[in-house]
Amino acid sequence: MAEIVGVFATSHTPVMLNFPDAIGQQDREAIFAAFQAIGHQLIEADPQAVVVISDDHIHNFFLDNLPAFCIGTTDSYLAPVEHWLKVEKHVLKGDKALGAFLLTEALENGFDPAFSMDLTLDHGVLTPLHLAGVADRVSVVPILINCVQPPLPTMRRAYQWGRFLGDALRRYEGLERVAILATGGISHDISTPRMGMVNEAFDREFLRLLQQSDIERLLNYATDHVDEAGNGAEEIRTWLMAHGAAGQAVFQTHYYQAMPAWYTGIALGSWASRGGL
Amino acid sequence: MSGNWRHPIPTPDCYLMSRVLYDIHHQSSHLQRYVADPDDYMKDIPLKPELKAAIRDNNIGVMYLEGVNPLLLRAHCLGLRIPEGDFVASLRAIEPMLASEAQNG
Repeated sequence: MAEIVGVFATSHTPVMLNFPDAIGQQDREAIFAAFQAIGHQLIEADPQAVVVISDDHIHNFFLDNLPAFCIGTTDSYLAPVEHWLKVEKHVLKGDKALGAFLLTEALENGFDPAFSMDLTLDHGVLTPLHLAGVADRVSVVPILINCVQPPLPTMRRAYQWGRFLGDALRRYEGLERVAILATGGISHDISTPRMGMVNEAFDREFLRLLQQSDIERLLNYATDHVDEAGNGAEEIRTWLMAHGAAGQAVFQTHYYQAMPAWYTGIALGSWASRGGL
Repeated sequence: MSGNWRHPIPTPDCYLMSRVLYDIHHQSSHLQRYVADPDDYMKDIPLKPELKAAIRDNNIGVMYLEGVNPLLLRAHCLGLRIPEGDFVASLRAIEPMLASEAQNG
């Protein structure tokens, strides 16, 4: 049976890589240090695979075929797909056996994901791994949620998926140690008139509710207020999936700052429990 | 539709406009053809002339109002190296139209 040795969540934005100097040096260094700290925690936890919960930003999928949830089930992933992203090309190691296990378990437990054996992953997956310094040090299983084109899966469904994911990982016999990294959000607008406006109040309340872990209040808040936080905030589904997977573990915010010059609220956090995840 | 999205599900025009942006930023040969002659690139696409013009002229605000996927708009900005200030200004310019929409229901 696998142990979940770490559950983490981070914001992501291509601006971190393309226009890092858009924010001041002090903030930039603090953010990059927070990513490095998560990288150190991840390496110390020594997972044999990391389930990366993110979204595809209309690269692998288009409006002709756009799954609500998709699991990667192959042994390597090129990244990034974006020709304009200022980062070196990577070949991320994949764990196809774990991907196949999660796919099969999902289908047998009332979930209906798509799967792909040919994903070229985008900044959503690569940026946090790259900034944490672990892109070439971990094997990944990507789970991609549609957060980018309505109709979207509900916030509640993302959380339910997380509950399933945590249970499935804990009964997986192929590995001893796995970790989860959710990436996305939090408040930001992409290509709307609100772009550059960050709803800090939304972010802080969302992070507070994650820590409080009153699930109904958390899901209702996410559902009822995401329209006030921007289309990029739809990515909080990734955090809700991680929250479901973390079970009884308690969420802690490592870093939060509204960064309008990067167009987003930047948050990093993790789930921890005295008794393990 | 208010809030984060223009439409609860894309319209056919929105699909076709998004298709142009998707193709030119995922196939280098399409990007080369588009940059060389946008009108020629789009000549066989069944879109109204004003919608093709919005794409050709990088009229980000109009594309947003039509419901083009915002992620593709962002990729278009970065991929064509549209200056950030111009990109954001084009979006800010439609705020009065959105306010009017909201007022008129």
